[in-house]
Amino acid sequence: MRMIEQDQENDDSTEVTWEDQQKINSFSKLNTRMKGFEAKVDAGKQEKEALDDLSTELELADEDEPVLYKIGETYVHMSLPRALKRLEKDQTDLDVRLTKLSESAQQCEADMKQLKVALYAKFGSAINLDE
Amino acid sequence: MASSSVLSEERGARGIPKAPFIEDVEKYLGGADAEIEGPLKAIQDAISKYRYMDSNLNQRRLSLEEKIPDIQKTLSMVEYLQERREGKTSQSEDDLEDDLEDEEPTSSSKPLKTTFELNDTLFAEAELEDTDTVYLWLGANVMLSYKLPAAIQLLRSKLEAAETNVASLTEDLEFLREQLTMMEVNMARVYNWDVRRRRERRIAEEKGGKSTSEKEGG
Repeated sequence: MRMIEQDQENDDSTEVTWEDQQKINSFSKLNTRMKGFEAKVDAGKQEKEALDDLSTELELADEDEPVLYKIGETYVHMSLPRALKRLEKDQTDLDVRLTKLSESAQQCEADMKQLKVALYAKFGSAINLDE
Repeated sequence: MASSSVLSEERGARGIPKAPFIEDVEKYLGGADAEIEGPLKAIQDAISKYRYMDSNLNQRRLSLEEKIPDIQKTLSMVEYLQERREGKTSQSEDDLEDDLEDEEPTSSSKPLKTTFELNDTLFAEAELEDTDTVYLWLGANVMLSYKLPAAIQLLRSKLEAAETNVASLTEDLEFLREQLTMMEVNMARVYNWDVRRRRERRIAEEKGGKSTSEKEGG
């Protein structure tokens, strides 16, 4: 914990009202949510990269060779066109999921910014909202 | 007269006690001369209880979140099998209309070849006969056979249940986090109030001390 100098301390000690407490609570809740979103978005981005690499590989693949496409935990042999179709579908599904996630994450961030402005305005250096 | 438990009797969703909000620190402590040791300790107890609950719920949520991808993988495999079967039956019904699969060799007429994991880093090839039944592992050394549509339904409902559980656990965790934050803020305020009070007392004593020494000296 941080100790502030005595002269920095608000002499009037701005009291924490119920609304302030609620704002602080929302901020903490949004912060936790944000961490969850960031983790999921990172995982999603990695998957997307893998699928993109896969599509580049498949473009160069031999037409007659069966493609071992991973479904679940096993690799299923399927023809190149089928594999391409399935890959496309997987990519679209992933994109939809990622867009939804990043939208929610952005909403979260915007709310957090608003709360930060309000809380810093009232408490100044008596409160710390950054990492 | 500090109560041994700071947490109110009110319970939030699923039995998480609600943290009290201190409107006025002085009133809460019971006067300008109240000791803060008791309430401070009670608040700290409450905080550690909350932290314990928090880690508990977090663990449960993590284990559920691990299960969900497994269910999804099983489901996608079973759906794939179903797709193949459907493709096959519709094929045999109308041999003339092949527009859906005109460019692809109808792999559904050939048996399904897979490469599966025998062990970490050890794979084997297997050919799957056409079948309408799958066996699902239900846990507790129990495995049941299901027809494909029934299997898909079961897996989907399992997936839904798991996702609902995760959602409700996350809700609980958020509620818990709010209560934890409130208690930490309470503790900070009580502590600050005490620091301020000590300082004020010290200043008052010094002033009082000075005036007496002046009297004696003058």
